Order: sequence, then structure tokens, then C-alpha cells
Amino acid sequence: MPARRPAAALALAAGLVVIAGGTAGLLLTRHSTLAVRPVAAGVAALPAPTGPIVAPPQSATPKPVARPASLTIPLIGVQTRLITLGLTAVGQLQVPSSTSVAGWYTGSPRPGAIGPAVIVGHIDSVTGPGVFFRLSQLRPGDKVYVRRTDGTLVEFRVTSVQTYPKDRFPTDAVYGPVPDPELRLITCGGAFDAATGHYLSNVVVYATEVS
Amino acid sequence: MKFRRTIMVLATSAVLLGLGIPAAAAAFASSATTGTGWIRLAHLSPNTPAVDVYLYAFDNSTAEIVLHHVAYGTVSAYEPVAAGDYSVAMRAAGASATSQPVLSTSVTVAAGHAYTVAGMGPESGLRLQVLDDDLTTPPGRALVRVIQASLKQQVVNVSLGSTVLASSLKFADVSAYQAVSPGTETVTVSSGGGDASESVTLAVGTVHTLVVLDGASGLEIDNLEDASGSGQPPLGGVETGFGGTAPHGPASPAPWLAVIAAGSLLALTGGLRLRRSRQLRAGV
Repeated sequence: MPARRPAAALALAAGLVVIAGGTAGLLLTRHSTLAVRPVAAGVAALPAPTGPIVAPPQSATPKPVARPASLTIPLIGVQTRLITLGLTAVGQLQVPSSTSVAGWYTGSPRPGAIGPAVIVGHIDSVTGPGVFFRLSQLRPGDKVYVRRTDGTLVEFRVTSVQTYPKDRFPTDAVYGPVPDPELRLITCGGAFDAATGHYLSNVVVYATEVS
Repeated sequence: MKFRRTIMVLATSAVLLGLGIPAAAAAFASSATTGTGWIRLAHLSPNTPAVDVYLYAFDNSTAEIVLHHVAYGTVSAYEPVAAGDYSVAMRAAGASATSQPVLSTSVTVAAGHAYTVAGMGPESGLRLQVLDDDLTTPPGRALVRVIQASLKQQVVNVSLGSTVLASSLKFADVSAYQAVSPGTETVTVSSGGGDASESVTLAVGTVHTLVVLDGASGLEIDNLEDASGSGQPPLGGVETGFGGTAPHGPASPAPWLAVIAAGSLLALTGGLRLRRSRQLRAGV
């Protein structure tokens, strides 16, 4: 009988180890993107662009601003020219044909004018990262810069980063009127549905102009 | 006995831990956008000299925003502020920040809402009025309202093209918002003592306030763009990915739950045997 004890103790110990391993596996595979902010490994943070930063309109009757030309997000290594985007025949937002550039929706206000300017970029191509691959790593307080065609620079500060299922996209919050100059950066996120070839969610970064 | 209970607790908590994770993830994802509203400050009393305007968060004696030397006709840009209670105080321009304000009022800012706090009326009856500003436009339309801040012409009629925006609007009154067709139109202000007109462009999805002011000679119209959005909001979400960086393999928690269950079984069996051998040794 006593010969059984080591085997039983071993089984108990092994069982506990397996429970711990299983729990760890569950935690890591389910939760890794939520529990900790991933380090932007391999991405050299870009320097903030230089040039006179245009103050937000102080009068409530602001002058018209120039169209956006390029976007820089130093923390996640984004530097891209901005193409223009409209709507598709069925009223959806066009997306850039290249996964390495972002685009501004011409039906939204210009960056730095009153209202939410909308900029869209791909998270990835079929083979690798796109221009907004690390967009979901932004956090409130991070800086975003838009250079306009007249050379002026507008500085935005991230206020919120949200992930929404595409079938519950908050159109009003993203595109609806606001009374100050804001920015919305949109890409894909969440689970990828290999059957349809689409991600199931959108990541939206909300930012307001720094005053 | 004690052994067994410990094992049961361990196994149960491991399983519960596993089940609890998706719930925590959902709570994270649905946490609302920031609770921010907006305030702007205005001086619309024609015969009141310039003022300094202070905005204080409730229970805070240090001003969050101070605007110096705000003269008649000035309307500030909207400032984003955390939702909550605030007070607005007006002091004569240059007066000490600790001096007794000429006027003060309280304003409650709700998340996602915008407010104009304006000094209105004649100097003898100056008051701080809190206006609730609209931020939503009906699809395909623009919104416009009128603030009557002319003391010289105390009653005015205001029209946008052939649309009447306000009739017999009295000094220091504000008209209701009106939905209008977007486009460029002529605003006409008429009164007993003089008229004024100005061309304004009201883009789709924008909210405007037209302020009727006393000018150096006659009336002036100030066209304020209160808010703007995408006049034609895109439908639904955006297809911005091809899956090249998507994680492969099943995201299902089932395999890990099976491992935890197997571990629990193993530990339970081991624990039971251990207990039995102890009982045998004790001669029970």
C-alpha cells in the first residue's frame, strides 16, 4: 500500500501543474491583446513633424483651412501621404486601393476645421502589415499630426480608442456633428473571418485638436 | 478531507477563472467613449464694457478657462470639458481674479452636449444665459437659429432666402433651431430702423447660429458655425483589412478548458488516492 503514495502524490502534483498550464494557455490566447499594451517592437518611434502648428480657431467663425496632405503618428511609426476617398455606389466608405497609404473622406470636415475629419487605412494586406497595423496600440494622450497642402500642421491628441463589431458601427459617434476640430482614424480589428475575407470589427481612434 | 477540499477549491477556481475571462473582455470593449461635453462663452450685451470671463469646475476655486478682455460681439470657440457642474463668472476687464464677480451662473454639462453661456441684455439688466446647443442635424439638412443681440433695433425679422427664421424677435431673445436646405443663401435682417443682409453658406450636416449685432453703423450679422459632421455619413463599417496578419488557428477556448478539466480530474484522483492510503495507514 505505501507504494501507492508517491504515485498518488505525483498524480496530484501533475494535475495541479496541468490546471495551471491550461489556465495560463487560456489567459494568453484569449487575453493577450487586452491585458497588456503590446510593445511596438521593431518600430522606431518617428520624430514629431516640425513646422508652425496652427492654433485651433479661437473665433466661432473660423476661416476655411487647406486640404490634408499627410499624416504622422510618431509613436506607432506611421508616416503616410493622404489620398482622397469618397463613397461607393452603395454608400459605403471607399478604402485606399493600396494598403500602405491612408485616405481622408472628402465628405467629412478637413482636419483642423470644426467637426470630425475621417481618415481610413488598412490594418494589413493579404501578406503583411498595412499602414494602420498598430493603430489599436494608441492610447489617450498620444499625438497625431496632419500636414495640410499649404504646409500648415495640425496637432491632435487621442481621447479614446474603441473597437466595434462592424454590424454595430456607431455612425453618429464617428461621423456626426461635433462643435470642435476632431479626428477619427479608422481601421479593422477583432477576429478575421477567413470565409468572407473580412475582419469582424473596426478600430476607431478619437482625437481632438490640441489648443 | 482537508486535502480534498483544497483540490476541489483549486479545480473550481481554475474553471471559474477560465469562464470569467470573456466577461472581463466584453466589459473592456464596451467601456463608453470619454464623458466630454463642450462650453463656449460669449459677450452679447451691446452697452456693457469688455469683461473677463472665468469658467470654474464645481468646487474648484482655480479657473479652468479664463478669457481676458472679451468685448461685445465676441463668441469663443467651444472648449471640450469633462461632464459635470461648472460655474461661469464675469468680472470687469482687468479686475482681480479674486474680486467679487459682476455676474455668475451655474451650468451642468452633460456628456456629448454643447452649451453657450452668454452675457445678454442691456448693461442695467445684464444676465448670463445658458443656451443648450443642438448637435444633431436631420439627414440632408442644416440647422440654424438666431440670437438677437441688437439694442438699437430691439425687434427684428430674420429670413434665409424665402424661409422665415424669426419674426418679431426681441432683444436678448433666441429663436428655436430650424432645419433648412443646405446651400448658399442670403440672410436678411429687417427692423423698423434699418436692414442688413449677408450671404451665408450652410453646408449639409452643419449647425449654425446667426447673431444680430449692433454695428458701427446699422446692424451686422455674425454667422457662427456651431458644429459640423459628415453631411453624408457612410453606411456601416469599413473594410480595411485582408487578414495577412490575423492570428491563425482556432480562437476557441475549448482545448484549454479540456486541459484544465483533465488536470482537475488527475489532481482529484491523486488526492483521493492519497487520502485513501492515509486512511488505510491509520487503520480506519
